[in-house]
Amino acid sequence: MRDEAAIPLSMKAIAFLTLVILLAPAVIVVLAGLNSGDYLTFPPQGLSLRWVRAFLTSPVFLSAYGVSFLIAFLSMAISTVLGTAAAVYLTRTQGKIPAILRGFFMLPIVLPGVVLGLSLYVFYISSGIGLARTMSGLLIGHVIVTCPFVIATVTAALVGFDRSLEEAARSLGASPFAAFRLITLKIIGPAISAGALFAFIVSFGQFEVTLFLSTPNLQTLPIAMYVSMRYQFEPTAAAAGIFAIVLVVFSTIISSRLVNLRRIFAS
Amino acid sequence: MTIAQAESVTHASRQHKPIPRGFEFRLWWLVVPAFLFFMIFFVIPTASLFGLSFNKSAAGVINLTSNISLDNFVRIFTRESYYQSILRSIGISAVVSIAALFFGYPLAYVVAKTVRPSRASLLMILILSSMQLDMVIRMYGLMVLLGDNGLINGTLIRFGLISAPLPLMYNSFGVVVGLVQITLPFMVLSLIGIIKAIHPSLEEAARSLGSSRWHAFRTIILPLSMPGILAGTLLVFALSMSSYVVPALMGGWKVMVMPIHIYQQIAEVGRWQFGAAIAVVLFVTSIAAVAIYHQAASRTAGGRT
Repeated sequence: MRDEAAIPLSMKAIAFLTLVILLAPAVIVVLAGLNSGDYLTFPPQGLSLRWVRAFLTSPVFLSAYGVSFLIAFLSMAISTVLGTAAAVYLTRTQGKIPAILRGFFMLPIVLPGVVLGLSLYVFYISSGIGLARTMSGLLIGHVIVTCPFVIATVTAALVGFDRSLEEAARSLGASPFAAFRLITLKIIGPAISAGALFAFIVSFGQFEVTLFLSTPNLQTLPIAMYVSMRYQFEPTAAAAGIFAIVLVVFSTIISSRLVNLRRIFAS
Repeated sequence: MTIAQAESVTHASRQHKPIPRGFEFRLWWLVVPAFLFFMIFFVIPTASLFGLSFNKSAAGVINLTSNISLDNFVRIFTRESYYQSILRSIGISAVVSIAALFFGYPLAYVVAKTVRPSRASLLMILILSSMQLDMVIRMYGLMVLLGDNGLINGTLIRFGLISAPLPLMYNSFGVVVGLVQITLPFMVLSLIGIIKAIHPSLEEAARSLGSSRWHAFRTIILPLSMPGILAGTLLVFALSMSSYVVPALMGGWKVMVMPIHIYQQIAEVGRWQFGAAIAVVLFVTSIAAVAIYHQAASRTAGGRT
């Protein structure tokens, strides 16, 4: 407590302002989605479920929500398997190769999303492998951007993992696979779940990679909202946003129960 | 447990301690699926896009040919609208980095110094939720706030404080606000760990020797947070350079930065090679800016980075 009291007041004031900047947009979206008027004024005109109902009956937004959910779920499943396996190798092998590979797997985060989406689009069309304008093609793009998050989260957990526990199981006669499944997987399980949740959320909110890969028949929620904001700006998009905000807040709370967030993200 | 059993256990553990070679070999296979996936769907596509940028630009043609030409790059650096957009991208990203540091540092400091676990994890959940929320949704909120009929302008006009709406959006200011909103969590997260690692006794020692709180902060805490400040500003700079959705929505296509040019060349003009060339320049510019900045910063930080 003594430390908290030592924080200068000006620091606290700016920190509060920063929290407002971070959270205000989401609060405004919720208000706009629950507002009864056509556009949000201050003070709001009144509560209404008009736009929520419009979202739930809108063929565009509802199907976009479904597409986003499906793609996020599938890319979560694929990245979790690929990423966890890779993380086990990366943390259990010494030498130059795993060190280089660790950097290699983080590259998709560094590459601008628009450039990645464009690269994949050009690749699909020019190679003629039938992935252009398909769900699988879009899914592949999402796996590329979500996999680094799984690898980073699971690697962080495995680095702190005490291997003598697994060796103890081995020395008591467990096969390498059984020791891994019964001991290691149980202990790093929460980190894998957290990595999977991050993958889900990153995919669900992904816009830039999706931009070149989606088609009018295959719109994700961010793309559908973007189109609506550029051309008509209807509060139905805000109502759709409310459902996305709820999903994100819940998943963050769940992942904070699974892993120490301050350790993974602030290191 | 009999002695024989105990012996066999110690024997077994001695046998297993250096992991058998067979297991090491199989471990290697775990990385193969992810590696192949990344080679096919990440390395090959980005490499061929890089190659495509060296082909002469032809509308509607997308296949890679062996006629190497620097035409696209010459065009980017000789046409004002293109090289201006490079400078604009860099300028906006630099302003965003400084603003994100100004707003992000105090919050990171408060999170790092918060002792009570429940309050610290509440702050972390708020920061991470705001980071993970879809950017388009957050831009919707900002547009409702900053638009001509938005909350700020609407309220100011209603109370008669201004007669015409302030230009808060569809210009560079709007783009900067949007990018700061998007990048702030990344800045805060890069700083928390570094600030937390600074031992409180250092500051206490300075204070007990008569240094003022501000002086102790400026001479002890701030220099020691330099690695986090560098990492955070670099990350924010790179994210701002590459963002498409923020300039598209908050700039209303009036603030022409590089990602907007890329999209226009591809989606509207169909000149794939030229779009690819701008993408290459975007990537190289952000890497070069990062390298120059890193050089300069490590010199000023006296090798502390």
